[in-house]
Amino acid sequence: MSLRDRVKKALSKPSPYGVDIDISSYIIEEPQVFERSVEESVESKIGMRPSISQYLQLGQMALYKLIEKSLEKYGVKVVPLRVAIEKFDLARDLAWRLVDPDTDKYTALTYLYGGELGYFVYVSPEVKVPTPIYTCLVLRAERRAMLAHNVVYVDYGAEAHVVTGCTIPHGVKGGLHVGISEFYVGRDARLTFSMIHSWAEGLHVRPRTAAKVAEGGEYVSYYMIYSPVSSIQLFPRTILDMGAKLYAASVIAGRVQGNYDIGTKAQLEGTGSSAELVSRVVAFEDSKIYARGYIEGLAPESRGHIECLGLLASPNAEISSIPIVTSRNPQSILSHEAAIGIIAREEIEYLESKGFTEDEAKSIIIRGFMNIEAPGLPDMVKAQVKRLIDHIARAGVQL
Amino acid sequence: MCVDDRVVVRNVYLDVSCGEVHVILGPNGAGKTSLLSAIMGLPRVRVCGGTIIFGGEDISGVPAYERARRGIALAHQFVPVIRGVKVANIVKHIIERYGGGGYENILDILDVKHLMGRYLFHGFSGGERRRLELYLTLLQRPKLALLDEPDSGVDVDSLKLIAEAVNYAVRSWSTSMILVTHSGAILDKLYDVTRTHIMIGGQIVYSRDLEATRVVLSRGYIEGLKVLGVSLQ
Repeated sequence: MSLRDRVKKALSKPSPYGVDIDISSYIIEEPQVFERSVEESVESKIGMRPSISQYLQLGQMALYKLIEKSLEKYGVKVVPLRVAIEKFDLARDLAWRLVDPDTDKYTALTYLYGGELGYFVYVSPEVKVPTPIYTCLVLRAERRAMLAHNVVYVDYGAEAHVVTGCTIPHGVKGGLHVGISEFYVGRDARLTFSMIHSWAEGLHVRPRTAAKVAEGGEYVSYYMIYSPVSSIQLFPRTILDMGAKLYAASVIAGRVQGNYDIGTKAQLEGTGSSAELVSRVVAFEDSKIYARGYIEGLAPESRGHIECLGLLASPNAEISSIPIVTSRNPQSILSHEAAIGIIAREEIEYLESKGFTEDEAKSIIIRGFMNIEAPGLPDMVKAQVKRLIDHIARAGVQL
Repeated sequence: MCVDDRVVVRNVYLDVSCGEVHVILGPNGAGKTSLLSAIMGLPRVRVCGGTIIFGGEDISGVPAYERARRGIALAHQFVPVIRGVKVANIVKHIIERYGGGGYENILDILDVKHLMGRYLFHGFSGGERRRLELYLTLLQRPKLALLDEPDSGVDVDSLKLIAEAVNYAVRSWSTSMILVTHSGAILDKLYDVTRTHIMIGGQIVYSRDLEATRVVLSRGYIEGLKVLGVSLQ
């Protein structure tokens, strides 16, 4: 069976995790690419001005600026993947290499109908990109599917921060977002990838991400979702070669009746590779959250640790914490810890005795709980994360 | 003072002036912790009779957070573990509330700097727990510090540091203290003890200077009180 036939068949293949979505009910617009800059007021939601974004996708319309001089002089390329596939052999070689198009119906849909919208980022060897590379994905109309496919390649010895904000304008309540992302971190290279999601009720989100980190490379992933959503399911996979490192942080604030199924998988394939997966989950209202972590130890001297902490902030909410460690090498050291709790009365009373009201005490606990210090995050991302956590903590007290 | 409907502390009169250190000695279950909880305004203890005056004002009906803001701080004997919330985070909030600066000495004396990146009280040794709780208490720069068994379950090195911090706060900031202890382990290391009270069965049965009360530490509460001429009903 040809690849295309296999992928077509996969259009009916559900994901093993998360709510199954009827993808046929969404409208997919004709993919379009424009080379120009745009302004759109999304800053309040994702803390990123589209004007500083090197790539902006509105639904199935990709808009990108000419590469800024500051990045161009370093040899950094940021272009829609569709353009990159036409122009560069490398992009053609890398696309769909880490994520199989027939993985499930969402990858299949993107492969067949996405038109390879999404961004391609290439960072030349030894380049330390001094400013973050911003990309922005906005689903802009009801009942539409936004399909994005991103490829990032950080060549050997290089360092880059890619920041992606995903959002939806006020008033748009239904839709499907599928984002396929493939990250390649070269030998002794470093990639920090921050993704901040602000969606809405009625929206289904299915990111499909895989990363490969070469010898001595380092990949830091920071993921945050703080908005209501109908359902979101992601389980990104990272393959680590010799001495490579992964630090993956997920911060999830579950809202309304959202179904959040969010995990990270690490495959320690190289000697001395390591992974640390950290998640902080707060479930408000009627939300349901699955926090997954999976580390597979395949090589000697590899190390992995999963930390899943959950806070149940509503009697109607639900959290399932599912850390799994699998060792296939006796010299691989793996561990995990998972705990789910509530904000205990004694914790509040303790903080009250330190001079804080009940609301302030709850806010301090939620804020502190969600604050993960992922190594090497750009200052702007840190500031935005802090602002959002403050917002979540304030809102959380009132729920 | 009542817990639920049970009277746990009665007929207690304590008058603590600025910079004074009052020690309350007593066996387990004597009502010492309940007394401090009532002064702090913790909801588990209710004032069912009498008043608590602080700075000339009746604060008996004032909630705990307001008492803290007025200058009362409690170093709890039992502290909650708050997973996911780092010590540095709590420190930051307390400094924001009470003003920063001038706390470095206490930080050094109590040797708690290395705990800042840890979750609050999670996996702490007894000494670390007591030292950090005292640090957070003194960080409030209280006018009156209530120290609940600061010498319980700590090693000799931690005990020395805790006593040093108490002495520093009293001498440098004129902080008043009510220090509760059942073992009295810390007493020899304190410079200024204004008065010592012995509490039994929810009542203060004897108040005098430290020297006079040492006999209960050497001979036990029952025999020591007999020596002091106190008869227990």
